[in-house]
Amino acid sequence: MKKKEETLNKPRKGRKKKEIDQRLLTPEQRAFLEKEEKIDKINNKMNGPIIGITYLVAFLVIGLIAYILHFMIVEKDEVIANAANTRLDSYAADVNRGDIVTKDGKTVATNKNGKRYYPYDNLFAHAVGYSDYTKAGVELVGNYYLMDSHANLLERAVNTLREEQNEGDTVVTTLNYELQQTAYDALGGADGAVVMMEPDTGRILAMVSKPDFDPNDIDTVWQEANAEGSTSSVLLNRATQGLYPPGSTFKVLTALTYMRQYPRKYEKYSYNCSQTEAIFNSVSVHCYGRKTHGQQDLSEALANSCNQAFADIGTQLNVNKWKDTLESFLFNQSLPYMDASATSRFTLDGKSDKGYIPQTAFGQGDTLITPLHNAMIVSTIANGGLMMKPYLIDSVENYKGKRVKKFSPSSYDTLMTSDEVDTLTGYMRKVVTQGTAADYFAGASYEAAGKTGTAEYANGEHDFSWFIGFTSVDHPEVAVSIVVEESDVNGVKATAIARKLFDTYYSISE
Amino acid sequence: MTNVIINASKYIILLMMILYAISCYTAFRKVDEKEKTAKLNKQIIYVFVMHFLAYLTFALRNVEQMKTIVIFYGLQIFVATMYMYLYHYIYPYSSRVIANNMCFLLLIGYIMLTRLNFALAKKQFIIATASLVLVSVIPTIMDRNKNLRKYGTVYGVLGIVALSSVFVIGVEQYGSVNWISLFGITIQPSEFVKILFVFFIASMLSKSRDFKQVMITTAFACVHMGVLVLEKDLGGALIFFVIFICMIYVGTGKIAYLITFIAGGVAMAGLAFLLFKDRLFDHVMVRVNVWKNPWADIRGTGYQITQSLFAIGSGGYFGSGLTKGSPDVIPVSESDFIFSAIAEEFGVIFAIFLILVCFSCFISFVTIAMHVRNRFYKTMAFGFAICYMFQTFLSIGGVTKFIPSTGVTIPLVSYGGSSVLSSLIMFSIMQGISTIENKEAKKIEEERRNIEQAAQGA
Repeated sequence: MKKKEETLNKPRKGRKKKEIDQRLLTPEQRAFLEKEEKIDKINNKMNGPIIGITYLVAFLVIGLIAYILHFMIVEKDEVIANAANTRLDSYAADVNRGDIVTKDGKTVATNKNGKRYYPYDNLFAHAVGYSDYTKAGVELVGNYYLMDSHANLLERAVNTLREEQNEGDTVVTTLNYELQQTAYDALGGADGAVVMMEPDTGRILAMVSKPDFDPNDIDTVWQEANAEGSTSSVLLNRATQGLYPPGSTFKVLTALTYMRQYPRKYEKYSYNCSQTEAIFNSVSVHCYGRKTHGQQDLSEALANSCNQAFADIGTQLNVNKWKDTLESFLFNQSLPYMDASATSRFTLDGKSDKGYIPQTAFGQGDTLITPLHNAMIVSTIANGGLMMKPYLIDSVENYKGKRVKKFSPSSYDTLMTSDEVDTLTGYMRKVVTQGTAADYFAGASYEAAGKTGTAEYANGEHDFSWFIGFTSVDHPEVAVSIVVEESDVNGVKATAIARKLFDTYYSISE
Repeated sequence: MTNVIINASKYIILLMMILYAISCYTAFRKVDEKEKTAKLNKQIIYVFVMHFLAYLTFALRNVEQMKTIVIFYGLQIFVATMYMYLYHYIYPYSSRVIANNMCFLLLIGYIMLTRLNFALAKKQFIIATASLVLVSVIPTIMDRNKNLRKYGTVYGVLGIVALSSVFVIGVEQYGSVNWISLFGITIQPSEFVKILFVFFIASMLSKSRDFKQVMITTAFACVHMGVLVLEKDLGGALIFFVIFICMIYVGTGKIAYLITFIAGGVAMAGLAFLLFKDRLFDHVMVRVNVWKNPWADIRGTGYQITQSLFAIGSGGYFGSGLTKGSPDVIPVSESDFIFSAIAEEFGVIFAIFLILVCFSCFISFVTIAMHVRNRFYKTMAFGFAICYMFQTFLSIGGVTKFIPSTGVTIPLVSYGGSSVLSSLIMFSIMQGISTIENKEAKKIEEERRNIEQAAQGA
């Protein structure tokens, strides 16, 4: 391009002037030459702006090309791996869709007789997903890698010549078979969701949603779910898209908000829970099972899940700042997650009716949260305040097992100070040692911390059972977020599932 | 076997593209006529090889339609050959570089359109061929009528009337009311008014360059742009604005005008934004937001641009190979988004070289503008150069998310009757200017030689 500009400035050959002896010319000829010289001079002057603008245009074009190259080198991979990139399906003719395996080496999706086959049937239904009709789960987020082939060049060239399919790459998930099985069994016949992840990396180790389905029968499942008048939510991944009232697990965030708004006062906080019912902002509040807890400081209020104390705290909060704190924890925001996820909701602000404040403070009201989001919040506490982005794909290998891509953990943001983390961890540890979860964790070989929850829904007729928690207190290893629907009917308790999951985690890591 | 041919074609096509693009630039340097002719003939060979392989691929992939494809191919080659060789004989003073580039861009367009929508490709071919015949008289007209520069205000008034016609007989397409329907054909007047506009400014400035004249010109230009803004064709208004400021700068040589008008333009845009935020600019805001983050609404407002990025990215450096990608998924891939379609199937390297060819086209326009010494033609030639390049830049920049999308086509490559005809008119006017300039240069050259001989002979 540089050269180009130079040639522009060079005078054309045709107009090169030779020295001519002026005396030999007639007056007309002399006049002609003088006139030409003058015109050329004006012309050169007029060309100044042209050259200037041309340089500017060249600069823009170089910028455009540089941008396109930057896109190809830096952004391309992430962009085309986007689940909405349907054009990958057109590659299907050339590539035999790759397998999906768990981190511990179990093949959970492969091809059999020209069809997609899921050896573990229902077990990984929502996490791994399916690929017919539409795509979901790892089949969706890993689609690009499954349809790409890193078999060796020669082999691919030969296949292309023979018009045969190349072998697609294998996607290695972060999922662990044992933990997935444990979560699946522990949830049993109950509806709900389990998410287990590593707080310091964001790697999801288990993800279960029920009711579930057999992805091998996706034809039937899909038709039933999409039949007219069907209200079936079997295909919905409750772990990422189910919106639940957070119940008492929300008290952790209410406590944090209170600590932030009353940094000098919260340690001396005290509430006397002496009556079964008390009135806050003209709304009557009672604790779970109409219990009374007596004199409560903040840690005890959390350990015993005292609704009245949290209603009292709620009335003291600046609602707008409360909302800001929660939005920093991704309420009303989309989660930094590769797959579709629902947005958790916190609706209060300074203009809201004050009567909503007490219930909202202890996790009822209009607040809704996804199990994945709750897992991220508890992981943030476990990880010293740094929130990691959750992810499901560990790496990509070619079909012979040679690694071609590795996904690294990436952080979202630091959301808490280490003092806040230490205080909350202490409180949550108390929940497990002395509070509402103590019975479930008796005799555990590890130090767990967490928060139980019971959320009422359907006008208090049924209960949701919640547990969020992590191990181990000093060196965070694993976090869970569990919700069980209608736990009053099926008797399945989220905290009990957490115990089983933690036990399995430590038995396999030994 | 078919696969082998298609795959090999992919790389040969790329090679031809690279050779062609390079020769576009080296053709400027050589001044030796013989060598230049050889180079330009080679260019034609590169184009033909590329074009042949593309249609071979189509024929192999679509055996049932092979006969139609072969006939279509034959017709294209016939027209292109006739044009590239004959034009030069009819107009010996015309620029062969421009003729070659014109055919090249048209053929690339035909190839991609054949791939995307055979019916559209045929329509485009018919329109373009008819236009080629029609516009071939332009250089003669220009050569014989040296009075064209005298009708400044006529061009201005005509342009405003034509632009305003959409308010009376307009139809809405893609959120802007900038098309009219005449005898069943939809025409985009702004495509043609652009040409009148360039004539208008060149003519006004050739008459006088004092402050009053510049202000009159500015007033007319503002009416043009105002009408376009009212039609919600903000991309069009932007093109007019850029043509205007560049031509004023070149025509008057005063950088103060350039700076004042840029500042004024920004101020006007800001003012208009504040005043008509809701009525006129909501779809501008949508486009800007989509540009900032198309991923927020992949299935809605961000659909076009994300599909375009998927196409470019999925194709990779070497492309998926002709007929093997899925560029048809991108909305309006045949016109506004044709660059993404090309990038997906021919590859990003090919696409970048295509940008370089477009830029070389601009440079050859600029070269003519620099050589021609008549102020009217000079300003006009540069106006068209800017018009061509800026439009190409807006189109490619928009679909690659370099800048917000403005819904502009790539001249000669994108589908669209108005766009093709107006681009061909533009190219022919450039040929006309080239003819006038070369003729004059030759005359002066002869005169000078006579003087030299006289001086030596004495």
